[in-house]
Amino acid sequence: MTTARLLPLLLLLGSLAHAQTPAGQAGAVAKTVVGPANADLADGAAALRTGDAEEGVRLTRRGLVTASGQRERVAGYSNLCAGLAMLERLEEALQACNRALQLDDEHWRSYSNRALVYLKQERYPEAERDISRGEALNPNARTLKTLRAMYRDAVDPVSPSIIIDDRRGAEANESTR
Amino acid sequence: MNRPARRWLPVALLLFAMSATAAESRVTHLEDDNHERVPLNTVAPAYPAAARRDRIEGDVQVCFNVNREGRPYRIAVRSSSNRVFEKPAIRAIRASRYQPLPKDREVPAIKTCRTFRFRLESATAD
Repeated sequence: MTTARLLPLLLLLGSLAHAQTPAGQAGAVAKTVVGPANADLADGAAALRTGDAEEGVRLTRRGLVTASGQRERVAGYSNLCAGLAMLERLEEALQACNRALQLDDEHWRSYSNRALVYLKQERYPEAERDISRGEALNPNARTLKTLRAMYRDAVDPVSPSIIIDDRRGAEANESTR
Repeated sequence: MNRPARRWLPVALLLFAMSATAAESRVTHLEDDNHERVPLNTVAPAYPAAARRDRIEGDVQVCFNVNREGRPYRIAVRSSSNRVFEKPAIRAIRASRYQPLPKDREVPAIKTCRTFRFRLESATAD
């Protein structure tokens, strides 16, 4: 059960990378930028990473006030969504995610964060839709795989079963999936 | 009685609580009574987390020798449906034990084989 409780936090932490890099720096080659462009957003992300959601939300909100450019704002709202979700302020989290997706409807991390909020709200069709959108944008994202598993566990729970077959003639069915 | 039915008739179906590695799995042990070596401590493999997450089921057959003391050795996967299950299966065999043989009995050279079937059962109440 501990794992189940920690899972949302792990998912959220996986969704914070953007604010860690200064805006416009991703993919940049020879820019000499010392320190993040928006210190509040970066510090907010760092606080969220350590699990300090209150501080993370406070700093992210402050960072959003001075955010320059769409990229920073998208990352900021997405992180705000993550932080608010950690605080179980789900309606506010949803608004932040929606805001991020209004600015950039191809931001897979925002779909991922919003899917988690929907899962917490037990709004499974919406969660599934966002997971699928995220998967289409980033098929290899581990966060989305975990969300997919959470979704499946919510709508169609399974329990593992191991059959130890010592009978003569027992063979592995190699086509089992 | 037809042959397959006769072959499966002496099957003993045992349900038992297993080791910590398989704490979250339901374990079923199927065995017949005509094996050279008698299981003493059967360890069930852990269901790999990634396979559970991705809803993958599969089978692995592992064959091995058992020494006089009942320890498996020369453990090798004979067939498997997915590699993700192979390591847990080998670990389970390595941790399992068979009844030791008395000194006056020869250790059989024939390999023992065990098939692990990893399954995911619906947990939804009917």
